[in-house]
Amino acid sequence: MASPVVPPVKDDIYEPYAPDAPVGSRPSHWIPASPFTDVYARFSQWRTDLGLPHPGTVENLQKEVKSTHLSNFMFDGARADLTKSLSMNPLFQVTHSFALGSQTAQSSYNFGAIFASQSVFLQGGVDHDGNVNARLNQGWSANNVSKVQAQFSSQAGHNMIQLEHDYQGSDFSINAKAMNPSPTDFTGVYVGSYLQSITKNVALGVETLYQRPTPTLSDTATSLLAKFTSTDKSWIATAQLQVPGIVQATYWQKLSDKVEVAADLQLIAAPTRRDAVATLGAKYDLRLSTFKAQVDSTGKVSALLEQRFTPAFAFLLAGEIDHFKNAAKVGVGVMIESSTLTPEEMGMPPGPYGTV
Amino acid sequence: MPSEDTKERISKAVEIGRTILHYGWIPLIIYVGFTRSNPQPSLIKLISPLA
Repeated sequence: MASPVVPPVKDDIYEPYAPDAPVGSRPSHWIPASPFTDVYARFSQWRTDLGLPHPGTVENLQKEVKSTHLSNFMFDGARADLTKSLSMNPLFQVTHSFALGSQTAQSSYNFGAIFASQSVFLQGGVDHDGNVNARLNQGWSANNVSKVQAQFSSQAGHNMIQLEHDYQGSDFSINAKAMNPSPTDFTGVYVGSYLQSITKNVALGVETLYQRPTPTLSDTATSLLAKFTSTDKSWIATAQLQVPGIVQATYWQKLSDKVEVAADLQLIAAPTRRDAVATLGAKYDLRLSTFKAQVDSTGKVSALLEQRFTPAFAFLLAGEIDHFKNAAKVGVGVMIESSTLTPEEMGMPPGPYGTV
Repeated sequence: MPSEDTKERISKAVEIGRTILHYGWIPLIIYVGFTRSNPQPSLIKLISPLA
């Protein structure tokens, strides 16, 4: 790149270019670069004028679908979550979770603690075997967030650490992740992703995964992402295409204030394996309860009811019938929230449920 | 490429850091939360599920 040769001049003597933007705010050594900085300024001005919306993050591409479907919320057996809020601003709460009688998982006890202030989020959990999971989010500015996730176990091979950085631009978002990076031989899994709004409704992105399990072996996989959002944000369609033949397409629509529906289609068309799963689900948000129902093409029908009797006490009922395997799962749970704070300290207006 | 000696030292440091975080992470959150909370809660309320 050949930058124009300009004699080193002071601001007031010689001005070979007359840039549109005022130069006064810039130091004089920037003047040789002014054609480029002006082009950049004009380009960014033009970009701002387009008024493209923020596309969301790649991680949250299917957030609406995931929160409508109940795959992530399904449980079986009995469980109880006792949450205690000790402070509201900054947020500090501890949780005791008990789970027993599950067909798939062993009975467990988990203690969790969350601390969140304006810029820092700390979360930790420890179970009865002494396995610790940790999460730390540090916001450097409104656009920059660094995240660390880790798992520590006394068993070898169950330790995990993930370092992540998020940058949110006005109309794009960038994320870089490293899973189990080794400082000595650079093994690990590295993921980079970029999502850019193209028009007011369309965002396109790319995600690249670089795997290096041993110093001599490495592998990359790239997937393409697309997201269509309606102008009034009442429906969202996403598609994710991973090059060796994996397609995931989702559709989410908000039918009314209380009803959301979502569909999800996953296709795998690899030479060794051909498979497809379609999932259809609905979520009803009622005044004190949430009901989710879902049916998928593997023959599973499931439903989850979360009934809140008071703001501090919720009752959960989950059920799943697998028609093809002739199996059923039932789960019952309670969630109790208590607080050492008075309603005024929690920032709630005193109401019928104000005193917890 | 770092030498074998440096590699050994790095992996030892990683192992020590891992152990510190394994046993220290939950106490750290509780300490940070306990000292920064407004108002400061009493210790018994912090630990007991029932109080």
